[in-house]
Amino acid sequence: MIVSLAWRNIWRQPVRTTLSVVGMAFASLLLVFMASFQFGAYDTMKSSMLKISDGFGQFQPVGYKDDPEIEKVIADPAALMAEAEQIAGITASTLRSNGFGLLANGERSFAAAIVGVEPGLENKVSKLDTMVERGRALTPDDDAAIVLGEGLARNLRLELGDQVTLLGSGLDGSVAADVLTLVGIFKSGIPEIDRTIARMPLQRFDDTFAMNGAVHIVALSAESVPAVERAEPELRALAARHGLVYLNWGELQPGVKQAIDFDLVTSLLMYVTLVVVVVFIILNTLYMSVLERTREFGVLLAIGMKPGQIGRMVWMEMIFLSLFGNGVGIVLGMALTGYFTQVGISFAGMEEIYAQWGLPSRMYPTMTFGRVLGGPGAVVAAIGVLGIIPYRRVLGLTPVKAMAA
Amino acid sequence: MSNPIVTCRGVTKVFGKGDLAVHALAGVDLDFAPGDFATLAGPSGSGKTTLLNMIGALDTPTAGEVSIAGNRLNDMNKSQLSDLRLTKIGFVFQSLNLIPVLSAVENVEFVLELQHCPAAEQRERAIKVLEQVGLKGMENRRPSAMSGGQQQRVAVARALVTKPAIVLADEPTANLDSKNSSDLMDLMAQLNADLGITFVIGTHDVSVMKRSRRHLEMLDGRISSDTRR
Ligand SMILES: Nc1ncnc2c1ncn2[C@@H]1O[C@H](COP(=O)(O)OP(=O)(O)O)[C@@H](O)[C@H]1O
Ligand SMILES: [Mg+2]
Repeated sequence: MIVSLAWRNIWRQPVRTTLSVVGMAFASLLLVFMASFQFGAYDTMKSSMLKISDGFGQFQPVGYKDDPEIEKVIADPAALMAEAEQIAGITASTLRSNGFGLLANGERSFAAAIVGVEPGLENKVSKLDTMVERGRALTPDDDAAIVLGEGLARNLRLELGDQVTLLGSGLDGSVAADVLTLVGIFKSGIPEIDRTIARMPLQRFDDTFAMNGAVHIVALSAESVPAVERAEPELRALAARHGLVYLNWGELQPGVKQAIDFDLVTSLLMYVTLVVVVVFIILNTLYMSVLERTREFGVLLAIGMKPGQIGRMVWMEMIFLSLFGNGVGIVLGMALTGYFTQVGISFAGMEEIYAQWGLPSRMYPTMTFGRVLGGPGAVVAAIGVLGIIPYRRVLGLTPVKAMAA
Repeated sequence: MSNPIVTCRGVTKVFGKGDLAVHALAGVDLDFAPGDFATLAGPSGSGKTTLLNMIGALDTPTAGEVSIAGNRLNDMNKSQLSDLRLTKIGFVFQSLNLIPVLSAVENVEFVLELQHCPAAEQRERAIKVLEQVGLKGMENRRPSAMSGGQQQRVAVARALVTKPAIVLADEPTANLDSKNSSDLMDLMAQLNADLGITFVIGTHDVSVMKRSRRHLEMLDGRISSDTRR
């Protein structure tokens, strides 16, 4: 009966309660939408950056990231790959080896990052294959073939079908030399990649650089950024079991991580402000409603209700109201966000700036439990905790004083 | 005479301190016996409400002792006093007795709920007392849909439903017209006669005073006369 009484008490002042509910619902709708959009945009940034070449996550030998020496290898990657693909959210994995060398065309030579990739698997992890502008991507049948970034090809004055000489040093210290045929030229739009990356079949790389089956990187693809973030603990554990390290998106793309972190701090301030404002407006309204009922509480105390019972009833009222308001807000927020997850949001005039970063011009919000429940949850929790204020006021009431009010 | 339900010995209540001190009760000695139907009259400020608050365990005396149904109030803590009010005392106040968001029957059930009485029994007992106070058919009305007289009857029903040792009513008719006020007095007199419920009614309404079998007058915080008829 106390529960039902608390619920009915909320509706004593229907206009005031409706306004409170609308206010809270609107705030939590905003929180749901903004968080989903903001983090969705981050996801887009991360995944488009990552998809270009890195993949959503990588296994690497310890210390390889900071000092990529050819001797640091994953000696037997097959078992690792198989286990990684079993982890929920991980969709594919592929092997890569990196060597540094000179690419030469006659007199011209340029330093390049030579990447051995698995044609046929690599395209499940990175999008460079789709960025081939001239010629074609590597195929599983390729042997002495190479694909170059657009800048690199231009610097070397190479055309499709030309021969290119590769010179480097192999894993065993021997000279790695090879002659390859240029089959494709890609353009990612990111100058760093386009000027330095050369890709060749992993098998051929293995022979040329005397890798003997070892590789440097196992790159992963995942359903989404949130999915790979959820899988992170398992991935780290797996890496540890194999004596390797797992690198997440932030470790692979520290620049992007920094930009996102900065943006996050600024917007966090805004979220906190919104939550605080809403909480205090609602708290004020609810406290008023408690003050107004002082005389009535006096009667309840007189007839034998305990102060704690009245206090709990009042507390319950606050929690009901905030659950109700935020519940409505969450439903509406999810509906609105859901709509935009389908159609996306584009910012006129921003296309070029985005493109520089390899970003699409249309951004899509994405919803997760955290994004949907985080903001409204903070409001409900804050009101729940601050409910102690009216609760304590009720505890201090005595029947005679309260009835005299 | 059987053991009194209420005993007051030297009950004194002083509000405030020093020059501002008000001696609302100046040593009241008084008993109420089971079945009493008493009115408590006196000029405004004579201490009626203060005395009823002492008897009702709503406030504690500055000096003196109050016992209700064998319980010495001086020995009890807040929570015990609250339980005593819940089980032994019924209250009817001047106005705004009821919880506005509960129907008549729910208002009556509410005190049974506080006593952890089973739901089915609550409903049965509440409907029965509402019938006793003449509100059959009004069970589901909210206070706002009832007249002042009907609301006071619900308050009487709520006071009765726990089968208290005593019902205290402070100016129960003050907000009622003469017809309704007379009907309410009839009702309380009837309940006293039929069920032997003890009533103490604070009032300055002369027509109310005439209905009682025992009449107390207060003046300056003392009982100035105590007459039975
Ligand atoms: N809480 C209080 N603080 C100060 N004085 C009070 C308080 N309650 C009652 N009094 C004083 O005590 C006296 C008796 O009041 P009360 O019992 O209400 O009289 P009655 O009910 O007969 O009109 C009055 O002088 C009143 O002003
Ligand atoms: Mg009075």
